[in-house]
Amino acid sequence: MNRLILAIFILLGLCYFVLFDLVDGNWGNLSGGWSNLSTFWNESLWPPDWTMLQAQTYPECKSSVGFFCSKAYLGMLETLKMAFVATVLGFTGSILLSPFAARNLYPMRVFLPIRMLLAATRSLPSIIWAIVLVAIFGLGPLAGVLAMTFYTIGYLGKLQYEEMEGIRNDPLEAARAMGLSRLEITVNVVIPESSNGLLSQLLFMFEYNVRHGTVLGLVGAGGIGYYLQFYMGFLLYDKVMAFLVVIFVVVVVIDLVSMSIRSFVNEEGDVKRPSWSTILLPPSSAVSYHHGQEED
Amino acid sequence: MADSGSLTSSSDEPILSLENLTIGYGEPLVEDVNLVVKPGDIVSIVGPSGIGKTTLIRTIANLIQPISGTIRCSVPRRGGLGYIPQKLGLVRHASVYHNVDLGARAGTPFLSEPKSWLKRRNERVSDAIDKMGIFDKIREPVRRLSGGQQRRVATARTLAQRPKLILADEFLSELDEENISLVINSVKKYIDENDAAIILIEHDIKRAKEISNRMLVIDDGRLNPFVQDKVVQEVKI
Repeated sequence: MNRLILAIFILLGLCYFVLFDLVDGNWGNLSGGWSNLSTFWNESLWPPDWTMLQAQTYPECKSSVGFFCSKAYLGMLETLKMAFVATVLGFTGSILLSPFAARNLYPMRVFLPIRMLLAATRSLPSIIWAIVLVAIFGLGPLAGVLAMTFYTIGYLGKLQYEEMEGIRNDPLEAARAMGLSRLEITVNVVIPESSNGLLSQLLFMFEYNVRHGTVLGLVGAGGIGYYLQFYMGFLLYDKVMAFLVVIFVVVVVIDLVSMSIRSFVNEEGDVKRPSWSTILLPPSSAVSYHHGQEED
Repeated sequence: MADSGSLTSSSDEPILSLENLTIGYGEPLVEDVNLVVKPGDIVSIVGPSGIGKTTLIRTIANLIQPISGTIRCSVPRRGGLGYIPQKLGLVRHASVYHNVDLGARAGTPFLSEPKSWLKRRNERVSDAIDKMGIFDKIREPVRRLSGGQQRRVATARTLAQRPKLILADEFLSELDEENISLVINSVKKYIDENDAAIILIEHDIKRAKEISNRMLVIDDGRLNPFVQDKVVQEVKI
């Protein structure tokens, strides 16, 4: 424990020296920072302009609930759609590639080129992919979806092969001794055995793509980011703040849902969440839902 | 067992022969192992902890290369050898059916499964699960089962595979007396009906004598104080 604390202190000290080097010892930029932030917050950001959550005047709203015709809703919906398609396509691409990049499954002549391919797609951030793809496909969601798909393949692929490399060795040994082929071992042993991690990464990636989809709008790739970029250009930060609140709420909801879904494939969930009917309940309520208060 | 799979021979040809085998991880752990296993053999490997019993089993399973010596194994590469590791080697997030089906899959040809094979595979799986008395758990994820139930799943997987040679590393631990009888009787019946053989590691010498017809003892003086050096010898039962 003492060694751990010492290691943390050493790392923090190292961070201080590296940061000192980065700012050239000039900490003066920090002075007045809080008062600047306070002024910016009070004069520009808060309160948010909630009219962004109300129906637009044009085109005419056909829904009885005005929110469903608002810029925030329509922009967020488009971002969610982009993130969904990109995550599904990216997951499909990465799950086909990542087993071949796992060192415990394939020899170096196979895993090394696949790792390089995954690293290549990952090395360009999705915003750079978006700039390139906007040039090819023009402004709009298609460029955004493809940009996120490429990045998802590289990023998720790396997480997946590391997850696969971390599985227990005994199922692999049993399957190898039985004489199963590599493909059979991958499909029937490795993927089910690492399913918990793979599912967790998939949900994380969806959340990541939702957040990132907002950034892609800045380069004209559609979604809520389009409105962020538009209003930031006019320095209308109270409107930007309204969109940021919507993004925050959506990300929190995705996180809660992903937590619930993951509880179906882990051992804690076996005890605390015995059925799908409790998916939206917190674990403690899920137990009392099924077993009554006495088991709490 | 109507379905013979790859097991058709009933000859007295050895299934496995080990000649002057030296095993270990770089450094020799056990030297001069000689063993011939024929159809019908139930061979127990007995010895104190850490002496190299698991290493020997893993070497026979072709998971570790021997340092020197020869291993001759006449079983087919695919499905001919069933292995129950000490930690069972089960896919914990998958169902009992899926795990047992892995064995049945190994016992059928790769990428050439006409409908009759699939049906037969399904029958093998159901039959093996039924024999182990865990049919009511067939759709349960393995991680939800008790240690003893998981051992029975691993045994069912091997029975569904129908191998010629079974390697089992302490597969009876965590089982109560009733289930030990169930597992042993099922495995013995399988061996008799299919001219197969089993090599099993067993800590309990009394039980090893009861269930096996041959016993290989690896000792360095911890079991028998008259033993001075590490020896591998077959003991009469």
